[in-house]
Amino acid sequence: MNEAMKKARDIITGYSGRPVRIMEVCGTHTHEIFRLGIRKLVPENVEIISGPGCPVCVTAVGFIDEACWLALEKDCVICTFGDLIKVPGTKLSLAGARAMGAAIKPVYSPLDAVEIAGQTPDRQVVFLAVGFETTTPSACLAVKKARELGLENFSVLTANKTMPNAYKALVGSADAFIYPGHVNAITGNAVCRQLCEEQGVSGVVAGFTASELLTALATAIRLLEKGEPFFRNCYPRVVKDEGNPGAIKLMNEVMEPCDSEWRGLGLIPMSGMKLREEFAPYDARLKFSMPKIEGKPNPACRCGEVLQGKCRPSDCKVFGKVCTPLHPVGACMVSDEGACSAYYQYAGLV
Amino acid sequence: MCVGLSAKVVSVKDDTAVIDAGGAQREISAGILDELEPGDYVMVHAGVAIAKISASDEEEADDIMGELL
Ligand code: SF4
Repeated sequence: MNEAMKKARDIITGYSGRPVRIMEVCGTHTHEIFRLGIRKLVPENVEIISGPGCPVCVTAVGFIDEACWLALEKDCVICTFGDLIKVPGTKLSLAGARAMGAAIKPVYSPLDAVEIAGQTPDRQVVFLAVGFETTTPSACLAVKKARELGLENFSVLTANKTMPNAYKALVGSADAFIYPGHVNAITGNAVCRQLCEEQGVSGVVAGFTASELLTALATAIRLLEKGEPFFRNCYPRVVKDEGNPGAIKLMNEVMEPCDSEWRGLGLIPMSGMKLREEFAPYDARLKFSMPKIEGKPNPACRCGEVLQGKCRPSDCKVFGKVCTPLHPVGACMVSDEGACSAYYQYAGLV
Repeated sequence: MCVGLSAKVVSVKDDTAVIDAGGAQREISAGILDELEPGDYVMVHAGVAIAKISASDEEEADDIMGELL
């Protein structure tokens, strides 16, 4: 272990101040902090809680119902990031729809979905556009590509979300945030800085390797000790203060802000992105005259509280019994990045 | 779906780049990064290069921990 890591570990293990809560906003951070055994390092007076930063986990039940409707009623080919396939809708998941004959294709990139549309001109192809600022540019590129190619059988079902208003909704739920590095790589740091300066919200931007997570955690703990609100970018090799101007321009060209429903958190005003009118022909809801579909989450599931750090997955009555990664009841158990799934997989490390 | 992949750029043509991630090569979009060149390291998400990587994580940790009192 090199000097920097020794110092980081000493700061983390040696913290003896008041009890503090640090929220990792990003699902990949949740997963990596467990996997790397970092939770074992932190003393009792530092509580690490998970936030709502896994796009699969915050995707509303109604969105899955909408996708199943497109697949089963309109016979569309649904292209999706694989993690969404097992997420329960009100009655069906996409896996359930597939068992009933629907065409559900996992893809790595929305651009792959455009390619599939090009290869199957006789089928309508719909890409399920979920994700934060990190993945939204790829969906925008896909829509532009489809337009460039003149494809009339490609559209997207949007549930894209943006972090700034979610951060605001979470103010007060932790003493410091570990901000998702790859969101800030796109958006830049202005929002986080502003939260610090105007509302006293502390946080650090973190990368994803062991040394990046230890560095960010040590920085947060040392600055919490000092007692002043702080913001630090601990991932400068990827996150520049101004973010990625090309990505921001692209997103603003293709999409515009809208209200968005977050699983568990409810409707957060202006926390989503939808296609601009100019791109309406690529909006699956308009294209297929979709009726209003409202989902009903399983009442046993406490994902909403888990996503706000109000309870631990193990506080949920069905955790690990009825709800497991093979038979998930809620979205947090589905994705690898979900807090319930991370708790389940690494239970011995809690 | 959110896991980023760090990779080395092998070649760039228009808005498309070929990257090498641990020996596996793949075509990705370079549409939202200006001035990408072979040899650059990039962070890739969902088939799109979202940011250039300017140092190793160890160099970064040394800098940040060095400044932290
Ligand atoms: S354990 Fe399952 S049911 Fe309970 S909160 Fe997590 S995902 Fe929801």
